[in-house]
Amino acid sequence: MNRLDDELREALRREEPPEGFAERVLARAAAEPDRQGWWAWLSALFRMPRVRWVAVTAALFLAVLSGLEYQRQQRLLAEGERAKEQVLLALRITANELQQVHHKVQGLNLSR
Amino acid sequence: MRTLITALILTAAASGAQDIKFPASFDKLAEKAEDVVDVNLDANMLGLASQFLSEQKTEERQAKGIVQGLKGIYVRSFEFSQEGQYTQADLDEIRAQLRPPEWVSIVNVRSKKEGEKAQIYIKKEGDKVAGLTILAAEPKNLTIVHIVGTINPSDLAKFSGSFGIPNIQMGPAEKEEEKK
Amino acid sequence: MSQPAVAEAVAGGVRCLDFEEIMRRNQAMVYSIAYHFVYDRALAEELAQDVFLQLYRSLDKLDSAEHAAHWLRRVTGHRCIDFVRKRRVEKPVDLDAAPEPAAEPRESDPLLRDRLRRLVASLPEKKRLLIILRYQEEMEPEEIARTLRMPARTVRTQLHRTLALLRDKAGRFLGEGTP
Repeated sequence: MNRLDDELREALRREEPPEGFAERVLARAAAEPDRQGWWAWLSALFRMPRVRWVAVTAALFLAVLSGLEYQRQQRLLAEGERAKEQVLLALRITANELQQVHHKVQGLNLSR
Repeated sequence: MRTLITALILTAAASGAQDIKFPASFDKLAEKAEDVVDVNLDANMLGLASQFLSEQKTEERQAKGIVQGLKGIYVRSFEFSQEGQYTQADLDEIRAQLRPPEWVSIVNVRSKKEGEKAQIYIKKEGDKVAGLTILAAEPKNLTIVHIVGTINPSDLAKFSGSFGIPNIQMGPAEKEEEKK
Repeated sequence: MSQPAVAEAVAGGVRCLDFEEIMRRNQAMVYSIAYHFVYDRALAEELAQDVFLQLYRSLDKLDSAEHAAHWLRRVTGHRCIDFVRKRRVEKPVDLDAAPEPAAEPRESDPLLRDRLRRLVASLPEKKRLLIILRYQEEMEPEEIARTLRMPARTVRTQLHRTLALLRDKAGRFLGEGTP
């Protein structure tokens, strides 16, 4: 088994998703509409008294708002994850450069 | 020839933390480079990133501690497929911003044989270290790291002590050495 | 919030596929395939969430946890390929046109993992998926062929060729000479 195989296995090792991933998936699944109920829901809607139209409209409005809020939170999550990756990358590069300099200085000290 | 360019760019929400300006010529270097790393993280983005760094993972916990006092991290790293893609003038524009009394060179290493040069500068405010800049130039690789914010010598040791590499000593400025 | 669960009665007995249990058991696999494919954690989460939503809608077509895992690998792979082709997030690099490796590698490069991941993420989509299934999931070519519904010989040939190209491109920072 050569080094590339080992390094690929290491680089492509499974990782856990970010914290809260499972909860976010469950939340989306719970919000899934019942497909079979669509027609029944639609026809029932037209039979509702007026006052219930208001309630349904309000509920739809809230659903849209929560959808927008969900999107906003997703964007924040994406931005935060990217920023985190950038920090780690920058610190790794910094550490690598300091190590390179350290080796060069050590090499010079040994050659004196 | 197709080039492989990886540009990771986050636009800083607010400027001001960055002490040095990267030359305009760096845009052209990015086009010539085979691989590019471009990081711009100001205080806001560092604060956001800090919320996502996990206490459970060693590397992330260490990073969280390091970025606590920082106002900005900026990195430009270019990897070229051929030599001669950048000039000293590209670096001189940065060095011109790293002059005393604000900035002090603490390491200056050059190898004529291998065509490599590395310099480390720190910015002092009273007794505190308020910035760190690394210029690392190799024939086919150019890397500039610019960090703004309060860095204690122990923080610097954490930089090199973290991620599995030995600590370096923050001694007095080293003389320029030539390796022939 | 109630936990979505689907119980399906099957002739001869009752099988209960619990969505949450299947999701938690396979979330690392699905997320990692997506992450190694697009090399972006936020996009990877988006893709992984969509895959599990699709699983939720299709759960009644699956008859075992093992079937679900097999289904998830295939669907995640196809979704990743479709996503990249539609969004053109990355330009696939023709590794045949890659420049010759530089002379000397840098020693003990702590960025090696990042570089390899970026290299893999730059492969053409189908080849990328083959490498991920081979090295992340440790699947044999025959298993990969069954999962992706490709001929086994094609999978072996493509893996062999892609590895040769990766070895050539990665050789300089792995410190290996070109074979």
